[in-house]
Parts: sequence; structure tokens; C-alpha cells
Amino acid sequence: MEITWEDGAQSTYSAEQLRWACPCAECRGEGGSPGRLSRVKTLSDAELRVQDVTLVGQYALQIAFESGHATGLYTFSMLRRLGTTDRR
Amino acid sequence: MAMPSSQQVLEALGGIKDPDLGRDVVSLGMIKELEVSPEGKVSFTFELTTPACPVRDRFKSQAEDAVGGIAGVTGVEIRMTANVRPAFLRPKPSEILPGVKQTIAVASGKGGVGKSTVAVNLAAALSRSGAAVGLLDADIYGPSVPVMTGSRRVPQQVNGRLLPIDAHGMKLMSFGQINPSDEPTIYRGPMVGKAIEAMMVQVDWGILDYLVIDLPPGTGDASLTLAQVVPLTGVAIVCTPQDVATDIAVKALQMFRKLNVTPLGLIENMSWYVCPECGHRHEIFSHGGAEAAAKRLGVPFLGAIPLEEGIREDADSGTPVVISRPESAGAKAFVAIASQVAARTSIQSFRQLPVINVH
Ligand SMILES: Nc1ncnc2c1ncn2[C@@H]1O[C@H](COP(=O)(O)OP(=O)(O)O)[C@@H](O)[C@H]1O
Ligand SMILES: [Mg+2]
Ligand SMILES: [Zn+2]
Ligand SMILES: [Zn+2]
Repeated sequence: MEITWEDGAQSTYSAEQLRWACPCAECRGEGGSPGRLSRVKTLSDAELRVQDVTLVGQYALQIAFESGHATGLYTFSMLRRLGTTDRR
Repeated sequence: MAMPSSQQVLEALGGIKDPDLGRDVVSLGMIKELEVSPEGKVSFTFELTTPACPVRDRFKSQAEDAVGGIAGVTGVEIRMTANVRPAFLRPKPSEILPGVKQTIAVASGKGGVGKSTVAVNLAAALSRSGAAVGLLDADIYGPSVPVMTGSRRVPQQVNGRLLPIDAHGMKLMSFGQINPSDEPTIYRGPMVGKAIEAMMVQVDWGILDYLVIDLPPGTGDASLTLAQVVPLTGVAIVCTPQDVATDIAVKALQMFRKLNVTPLGLIENMSWYVCPECGHRHEIFSHGGAEAAAKRLGVPFLGAIPLEEGIREDADSGTPVVISRPESAGAKAFVAIASQVAARTSIQSFRQLPVINVH
């Protein structure tokens, strides 16, 4: 996935990177308890393939993976940070 | 002396930056119908994004100074106008509210904090600034806007569509008018959505710059459904100093964030009062909490409203305080907040979304 920002800068993301960055409560953990992503070392192929990306409101993307996992809302500010720290 | 060129004028005006949009007024397309006469008289239209623009006067004097300083200019005539731009380039032409440019929801974490009072006065302040304003009372549990605006009338129907009631120059529609009996109607689940959609689709709102929506209090079904049915530019959350302390307002904010409704900011109501005994301003316990909470949550603080007997009296008698006593501290607070809200909604219309490519 590629994002061209308002200021012209570009960020590129791999599906794998996006999956591991999923900000949802299940993946991150809630109320002090660790989330799924901190408990597993590997994810299945279906979890690492992007199925669909939809724009939600004006500030985030909802990314659905082939495994059916789609609860993560990736805000643009988060994606911007993710893209620049991990430029290739 | 040589006649100044339009180019020179635009360059000079390009030095004026819109503080909210973060860009210069020329590239934002706010300068229109520019003419320079052979005698050096410059005239143009300065089109703001809202008639309630908080920096209207500053823009005008900055423009006069900038253009007046160009060699050869003998006079400057500026026509200040406003054109509210639609918040969304909607993905598909919307059946819901086709003529409405901006929809501003007013919400709260619980009842009794002054949400309806704020919605009514916010709408009235925008309307007084010259905007075309509608007010939708969507609080199905306790519609109070008809009383606050002195418009407890049954709306007329024309060609199967409901005509909003004219209330102090605003177009008003309320569940309290559709169902004027004293028995409260209990709406549940999907009925809420249906009822609210009917308010949008069956009502002939016409062309509006702003539709202010008084949402039901809390984070229950009704507000949830509403936020999903109505395309909202954003939501302003009203709280009192007390409920910031108990995080009720924060919960409401988080719910809207989850629904992807942009928070326009927090408003603190009943924040301070002028003591009738000594005439001084007294702060209410934990006043300022909303401003601190806004900072912590990364949303704008839109302003504070005093606890003022006149605000309640005028609401009870059917005329919003910004209309009945525009010189009062309360009215001034509402007008300042309306400018802030208008500025925040303008920002939404100028936001360019990033372009996303998925391979
Ligand atoms: N700033 C204020 N000063 C004085 N009275 C107020 C103020 N704000 C609201 N009120 C009064 O408080 C009561 C509750 O306000 P209302 O707007 O109906 O709250 P909500 O819509 O949140 O339930 C009303 O009687 C109203 O007139
Ligand atoms: Mg109310
Ligand atoms: Zn997740
Ligand atoms: Zn006192």
C-alpha cells in the first residue's frame, strides 16, 4: 500500500508491517492486559494479506485482512508516523 | 506613476495567512473579482469561509494595509463576503440533506448540562452573523428546542414534505413538533434510525450553510444511530466543570471518535458566574477542567459560557439570549464559540485527503 500525503510525501507499507501495527484493542491489549500481537511470534499467511482498505470518516483507514480481521482503524497520523520511520 | 498590476496586488495579499487553515488567502481562493483602475484604485471581494469568521476584521485591515502600501495605489475597496463550503465531497450524491453544506452536532455525556441551550444559541449566533441556519432537535428523549425558541407549532406539509418552522430566522424542526403530545415517545433500536432519517429526508431544509443538530444526551443507542445516519462535519461536546472531573464528557468524545465523527472541540458550560452580591466574576469549582481535558485529549477547546440567570430566563421565554440580550456576557460567549465552531468546520472543508493506492 502506498500513501501520497497532502504535502506530496510518499509512504509505502507492506501488508505484514500493517498487520503487526494493527491498533485494535484485541491486538494491542486493553486495560493493562497484553494483546494478541505481543503473545504470538508468527501470523498465518491469510492474516498477512490485505483484502480491503476503506476510508472511514476523514481521518482513518480501516484495513481488512484475508483472515477476516478488520477491527483496526489506522488513523492518518499513525500511518504517517509508521511510514516515515520505516521508509524504504 | 505606473498603474499597479493585479499581480502586485495578489502578491501583497499573499502575505496574509489564514490562521485556521494555515495557508495564504490568495491560494485558498478567497480573493475574487479583483480590479485595478487606471487611476490606481484597487477593488476586490474577500470571500471568507464563514460569515462568523473570527478574524474577519483583522483580514480586512491586513488587506487594506497590504494593498495600500503598494506604490501607485490611490484607494482600496474591499467587499467582505462569505461562502460556506461543503464539508465533504460526498462519495455519492447524498439523498440525505442535499442542500446542507455543514452539519454540526452538539452532544453531551449526560442530560442537563446545557446542550440544548448551547445548540440553540450556537445556531442563533451563526444565523445573526448572516449564515443560513437550520436547527434540528434530534433529542428524542426530551425535545426542548421548540420551547427555547418559542415555536411550539405543528409544521406544515407541502407535497408530502414537511416545512421547517421559522424560528427567529432559523429553520427549525423537532421531534417535539412532529409528536407534540405530552406523552414521551419511546423510540428503540432501528426505530430511532428511521425516525431520524425521516427528519432528514422528509423535511424540506432547502439550502443551508449550517445545520445544527441537538443530539440526544449520552452515549446510548440514539446518539449512536444518529451519528451513523447523518453525515456529520463534526461534533461539539458540551460539558460542565463537574462532569469533566468525572470523565463523562471524555466518554462521549471517545464514542464519537470510534464512529469516525470529527470532534470539533469541547465547550464548558456554567463555567463561572457574576455574583449579584459583589458584581465580581466567581469561578465555579473545578472550572477550567474542560480546557485542560481538551488539551489532554488533543481536541480544540471552543470556549466557556457563564452561568447566567438571563440565559435560563430567555430560554424559558422562547428567545435565545444571543438575540434578546446580545450585550450580555453570556451572549458574547456564545458568539465567540460560534466563531470557533465555524472556523473548525471550515478546516474540515479544506482538508485534502491523502491518496491511497493498494496493490
Ligand atoms: N449557562 C447557563 N446559565 C444558566 N442556566 C443555564 C445555562 N445553561 C443551561 N441552563 C439551564 O439549565 C437547564 C438545562 O439546560 P438544557 O440546555 O436543557 O440542558 P440539556 O439539553 O443538556 O439537557 C435549563 O433550564 C437551562 O435554561
Ligand atoms: Mg436538551
Ligand atoms: Zn487488530
Ligand atoms: Zn461575590
